[in-house]
Amino acid sequence: MNGGVFQNMAPNARRSFVVTAVLGTVAAVLYLFCVQPGEAQLLRERRRLSDLQDRQARTNSDLKSSGTVKKDLDDLESALAPYRAAMLVPLLESYAMRAKSLLDPLALGAGLEEVGYSDEPFRALPLPKPMPRQLHTRAAVRVTAKGSYQQAVSFLLRLEREYPLVSLQRLDIAAVQGSPAAQSVTFVLEWPAKGGLTRK
Amino acid sequence: MKSSSVHLNLLKSSELLSSSPVRLRVMLPVGATLACAGLALWWGILFTQLVLAKTQAQAIEDDLAAKNKAHAEAIQKRDLARELKLQLEQLEGYRAGVRAVGAPLAKLAEVIPLRVQLKELSFTPLRAQVLQPPGAKAPLFGPTENVETQKLVIAGLTTKETPVVSLMESLEDGFEALVTSERKINSFKQDSAEADGRRLLSFEVEYTMPARRFAK
Repeated sequence: MNGGVFQNMAPNARRSFVVTAVLGTVAAVLYLFCVQPGEAQLLRERRRLSDLQDRQARTNSDLKSSGTVKKDLDDLESALAPYRAAMLVPLLESYAMRAKSLLDPLALGAGLEEVGYSDEPFRALPLPKPMPRQLHTRAAVRVTAKGSYQQAVSFLLRLEREYPLVSLQRLDIAAVQGSPAAQSVTFVLEWPAKGGLTRK
Repeated sequence: MKSSSVHLNLLKSSELLSSSPVRLRVMLPVGATLACAGLALWWGILFTQLVLAKTQAQAIEDDLAAKNKAHAEAIQKRDLARELKLQLEQLEGYRAGVRAVGAPLAKLAEVIPLRVQLKELSFTPLRAQVLQPPGAKAPLFGPTENVETQKLVIAGLTTKETPVVSLMESLEDGFEALVTSERKINSFKQDSAEADGRRLLSFEVEYTMPARRFAK
């Protein structure tokens, strides 16, 4: 039927129809294979560009603030220095051994006798939020000795002067039967110490 | 007289021309050409924009690649600063909870009345920390509370109650680092010990100590 219509068309009209059909096909091809994929590609490229611009902005901001971060790091290092110096580190895998090496001169100076050291269970410190990777803990050491109340207090005063970050967790001074001048003295002392890691 | 005219139409239907000055057989190809040209232009614009976007992206990528090492170092420093800040926060919490009672204990010796003989002075043990609460999947890294309280127990012998009252009054002022005003007399009774031929009294007083608060 359509063929008949086409056959009956005037040559000019037929030419016009053919040209229109060819150009229409070209337009369709242009749209389907050039414009549409081009649009999609441009959209993807713009998204990528936007991501890159964000990354660049973050990078520039990070680099810009690196000077401040360096100053912060210096401040933090100096703020942490006294804690690091005060931390109890094990000696021959024993915290009590380390405590002995630190405290024996003080105990001797205070006049305490029969001084003994043993490890006590550590106590965890409350956590900041978010948690740091490296935790710190309260390392505890039990110190037992014989001496007078004044000698025990003298030891404590020397300890507080020499190691201001050592804390007295427990104290037990008990009279010894038949020896009024010498009491049985027990201190449980706490130091800051490195704890576990919250993540690798 | 009526005249009639004869109208002969010898044109084929395809040879008929429209009365419109715009001819469809001209306009259709023109429209199609314009559509093609428009699409080509659109594509051209898209292509140009794409090239521009790619060039820009490449420039940014080059810039990022050039700053990569410095940026990685900056990030590392920033993370380290964050970590150290959190560590410092925890250690400052420790410092806040440090108990230093040497001075009040030294002062205590000065205020103990002559007729009081101390038999025991002790801090009660701390409660065990619960780091594995029931139902928890994994142990906690730290306690859920940041306050610890203990009691100071003072036990001794005396001849009568007034020296003990005097001792308790003395502890009311200047011993804030060692005891609070909260106290309890656990016992006050006759003891088997004797002095100067008199039976002595034993006493035990329990004071609440200031709380150790592990927080900045």
